[in-house]
Amino acid sequence: MYLEEEISETEIYGKVESIIKKGGYLLSIVCSDERALGEDFVIRYFFREEGIKVLKLCVGTKFPSITSLCPAAKNYEREIRDMFGLVPEGHPDSRSLMLYPENWDPSIHPLRKDYDGKKPEFKKYGIYRYKEVFGEGINKVLVGPIHAGIIEPGHFRFSLAGEAILQLEIRHFWKHRGVEKVCEGKNPEEALRIVSRISGDNAVNISLAYLNAVETLLGIKLSQRVSYLRCVLAELERIWNHVRDLGWLFMDIGFPLPAQHLFSIQEQLMRLNKVITGHRFMFDAFSIGGVNVKIEDEEKRLIDKMLTLVEKETKEVERFAIETPSVRDRFETTGRIFRKTAMELSLCGVCARASGLKRDTRVELPYLAYKDFDVNVPISEQGDVMARFMIRVEEIYQSVNLIRGFLENLPNDNAEKQNLLFPYSWSVGNAETPRGNAFFFVMLDEKGNIYRLKYTDPSFRNWPAIQYAVLGDIIADFPLVNKSMNLSYSGNDL
Amino acid sequence: MFFLLKRSFRVKTEDLKVKHKKVISLFIREVDTGSCNACEIEVANLNNPYYDVERFGIKFVASPKHADVLLITGCVTRNMLIPMIKAYENAPAPKFVLTVGDCTAECPYFKDSYAVEGPVSKHLPVHVHVPGCPPEPAQVIEGLLKLSHFADKDL
Ligand code: SF4
Repeated sequence: MYLEEEISETEIYGKVESIIKKGGYLLSIVCSDERALGEDFVIRYFFREEGIKVLKLCVGTKFPSITSLCPAAKNYEREIRDMFGLVPEGHPDSRSLMLYPENWDPSIHPLRKDYDGKKPEFKKYGIYRYKEVFGEGINKVLVGPIHAGIIEPGHFRFSLAGEAILQLEIRHFWKHRGVEKVCEGKNPEEALRIVSRISGDNAVNISLAYLNAVETLLGIKLSQRVSYLRCVLAELERIWNHVRDLGWLFMDIGFPLPAQHLFSIQEQLMRLNKVITGHRFMFDAFSIGGVNVKIEDEEKRLIDKMLTLVEKETKEVERFAIETPSVRDRFETTGRIFRKTAMELSLCGVCARASGLKRDTRVELPYLAYKDFDVNVPISEQGDVMARFMIRVEEIYQSVNLIRGFLENLPNDNAEKQNLLFPYSWSVGNAETPRGNAFFFVMLDEKGNIYRLKYTDPSFRNWPAIQYAVLGDIIADFPLVNKSMNLSYSGNDL
Repeated sequence: MFFLLKRSFRVKTEDLKVKHKKVISLFIREVDTGSCNACEIEVANLNNPYYDVERFGIKFVASPKHADVLLITGCVTRNMLIPMIKAYENAPAPKFVLTVGDCTAECPYFKDSYAVEGPVSKHLPVHVHVPGCPPEPAQVIEGLLKLSHFADKDL
């Protein structure tokens, strides 16, 4: 279990400052309505610092904003204002985040326990003010929410001087489905089905983070075999995600040949997923304490063949990118995220590693079979599209080796199950998805159902960085920068 | 380099349950109204060499103003309701709606949410629905061919 340190409103600045000075960074901020449990609203701050550091703050109607100290906290605090109606004092942005004033009554806060589930009338309650840039010759380009490609909705506003981008403002949460509220009251097994549908292409790794939290709470000890098999699926997912992402990078610089080549590999990988789990995205491959996957000798051969192919083809694509001047011209120095920005925004995943931060949950907070294997974390200092491209390539090689290692050492043992329930106690779970760290906070009630569930997607942390990455680039580079980070809209919007 | 496509894996016209008519070509605008992105990915996969949907005369276009068909995925969130309706209004008539994935119809997972306003059929006329979570690309192609038969009759 995690030790929480109870702090008061006056202490919080000092505490957060000292954590950040020591190199800690924000994992998530979780608010929960515990008024029925004899507390107030409780806000828990999770920092990564030698394990996980938890600060607990009990609040009534308002709380001190830490955004000025820790810019990564900005959207969490806006979210808390929308969902619980608590006011972050001193916050630089007073606009709502997920609940749009265009259709939602701002006096209703759905994650409060006393919210009756009634939707307010569908009408305009207010307006959302975008940030404006004024000046001679400044023009604006508005994109979305519905985009030209086959992708998810989001609204982007560019302010341009000629072709150069002066400012990009993003408005997200078009796809806000209310996942956290939907999970409340469900039993952990039902919630698992919902959780795997938060962001379909990362279903396996997100589910692992959730299971990590829930199984700790239920006191379930996994068999070695299950934990190895789960990691095999997690790495298979990483490979097909990265292969697809590399493909899109080529697509966006007008190089369909390598792109379609990579998409064919993606297709074969997804078909392999179907062979071993019965589903192309490996949805519902897990159950609490278990895993439903068929990996016998025949499947092992198939996987091995596929891995050999992936390795060979990735090498070819890597060589192609390095040796083709027009590719390097588009990839290099485009979309730079500097290390300082990455630190301040607490980035994770590929984006953090490409900007020189050694962050990988598999190494920082090892779980499942990663405890027994060494994971090398590839790092680059450049922070540009090329760096993110190369990190993905390296990670494909790494995942191939990991899967080989897991399958060679696959243990045969049976689970020892023990079920203990700690009513109203909570736990957190982490996992490294292809996009970065996925974080779950789960609290169960006395019947063992979900009382509060909070999920932080790597995309939620990394989206703000794109506003810095594009500065000074031309607008035609935006799709490329966007794809190089490849963030999820549905995971972000929840 | 770069010729990996295994012919035997390619989805053949003969294997599809719905026959392809050579007369009608469909231009599609994809509108995501709150999916988990798996449905999007399967729709995007229609353009990979294994499915190559353009050989049926089916093409994805950038704007609803160029489209005959709106291909809708997702559970229609409150925030996406107006953009979805606007996209529909902006498509020139005659226009057709194809819904892809369970989320667009019965929505087993999110229908009780405060933020969901689905199903799509509550707001727009739906011509063909492709069930599945997510449906596989071949099923989506079948849905599109069915729609082309439908459109053929209607024109
Ligand atoms: S139908 Fe299934 S796969 Fe498609 S968006 Fe809904 S949950 Fe995702």
